[in-house]
Amino acid sequence: MLAARASAARSASRIARSARRFATVVDSAGVKVAAADNGEPTTAVTFLVKAGSRYEPKPGVAHALKNYAFKSTDKRSALGTVREAELYGGVLSSSLSREHLAVTAEFLRGDEAFFVDVLSSFLTSTKFTRYELNELVGPTCEAESTAAASDPATRALEAAHALAFRSGLGNSIFAASGHHVSSEDVKAYAQSVFGQGNVAVVGTGIDATTLEKLLEKSLGSSFASASAPASAASTYFGGETRVDSHDGPQTVFIGFGTTGAPSTELAVLAAHLDPTPSVKWSQGTSPIAAKLPVGASVRSVLLSYSDASLFGLLVQGETSADVKVAGQAAVQALKAAGSLSGDDLKKAIAKAKFTAASSFDVREGLLAALGPKILSGTSASVAEAVSSFEKVDASAYSKAAASLLKTKPTYVAVGDVASLPYVDELGL
Amino acid sequence: MTIFGPLGLSLAPAIRKNRSVYAWVKPVADWYANVSGYRKVGLKYDDLLVEERPDVQRALGRLTEREAYDRQFRFRRASQASVLHDDIPKEEWIKPEEDVRYLKPHVQSVVAEDQERWKWDNIEVKRTR
Repeated sequence: MLAARASAARSASRIARSARRFATVVDSAGVKVAAADNGEPTTAVTFLVKAGSRYEPKPGVAHALKNYAFKSTDKRSALGTVREAELYGGVLSSSLSREHLAVTAEFLRGDEAFFVDVLSSFLTSTKFTRYELNELVGPTCEAESTAAASDPATRALEAAHALAFRSGLGNSIFAASGHHVSSEDVKAYAQSVFGQGNVAVVGTGIDATTLEKLLEKSLGSSFASASAPASAASTYFGGETRVDSHDGPQTVFIGFGTTGAPSTELAVLAAHLDPTPSVKWSQGTSPIAAKLPVGASVRSVLLSYSDASLFGLLVQGETSADVKVAGQAAVQALKAAGSLSGDDLKKAIAKAKFTAASSFDVREGLLAALGPKILSGTSASVAEAVSSFEKVDASAYSKAAASLLKTKPTYVAVGDVASLPYVDELGL
Repeated sequence: MTIFGPLGLSLAPAIRKNRSVYAWVKPVADWYANVSGYRKVGLKYDDLLVEERPDVQRALGRLTEREAYDRQFRFRRASQASVLHDDIPKEEWIKPEEDVRYLKPHVQSVVAEDQERWKWDNIEVKRTR
């Protein structure tokens, strides 16, 4: 036990050492900048903007804005951006979550002047032309929406968000084909969100002073300030819906939501229930794993936002009968999960801690975990995020689990709605 | 690049630069545009642009719905006038102030894009640092 504790302390200090420099957030040209150089062979710079679908004035605007990234600006055309980035050997990408828009450039060391300029010109001088919306942005949005609609898991989570939070966080990330979005809408949204105070820049493989200098040069003083986009505080509602779908596995999502800052207790609960084994081709020790029929799978999903979280179990299977058996097992385990103690709790905490720590190894995980903190200006350190798991104790955990189960469940069935189980048939 | 026709070489930018030459040429140009008669069948100058070219086709796709509809309407009205061997009623003639270049800017931006693509396709890269 003593040895275990010593090793835990050692690993925490090691994480702290490697990420210490990341904790500094400075204001440069009105944006929050955080950078860490851990000797990576490539550099990645991400502009994180509070411009997710939660804040959009009209459905699909945030999705269109995401796809307007790297289109023509005052400095270079869409083609010029792509060709020049190819000559440097870099990768440009943009991604959208419910709260944030992230535009990222990954490139070889030494090319930062060009790529930082590409990223900042998206924020300062994109033209938002009508023809680009029709010829490039619109078809991309449509293809992404179609691809998302053919994946039952994505569909279930989209429907679950709409049920759980209705407006705000309930807005779909994907543009629906029925809504008309014009380039003026996108431009107005961009002007309202692209500004000082609403943007954070995260760099890995680049040192902070270089990045600050480049930002001051490319964003400069012309970068206007923007007020944080208005959004009502999230409220959790819950409910049940059934979506007919003919492609992919039969899918059921059983979820519960909480409002307030994301809690580590829920991450522990997710780690406890997740039946993914730690060793390949073996059965995990999760209470769900033993009862799963062959061909069915259960995944625990924890989606944390700034003022709410959605926790749930995503059950998938070949047939509705399999899904029903797996779903009943999942609900049973979920109900029993509140009374977790002793070694089982320690195991769950360790698993949650490892999941959190290992997500920091990849850039996406680091950005997802620390980006919002950097944006809000609070200290963003890997060590803090990992050590917060050490504070979880049995009483706080069981309290969190019990209050979670008291809320109205969010239940979504996607697939053959005639035979998929209803929420009361699963024991809730 | 065509040499003749509405998309071809033009002296207009040079003439517009010199104010005294412009003052001399403008009345003649206005007279010529009126006398050429396309306004009397309800067409605008940009309706005469050769559209059987890929770049103009792409430019046509960039018109707003309203512009595309109006263009189609003018064509139908003009072909009806052609069938009748007559001009359209005088109050429907296109007035000089209505005869704006609604298509040319789009064609120019498409041509600029094509030229840029050609440039990037044939570029010789030299790394200086």
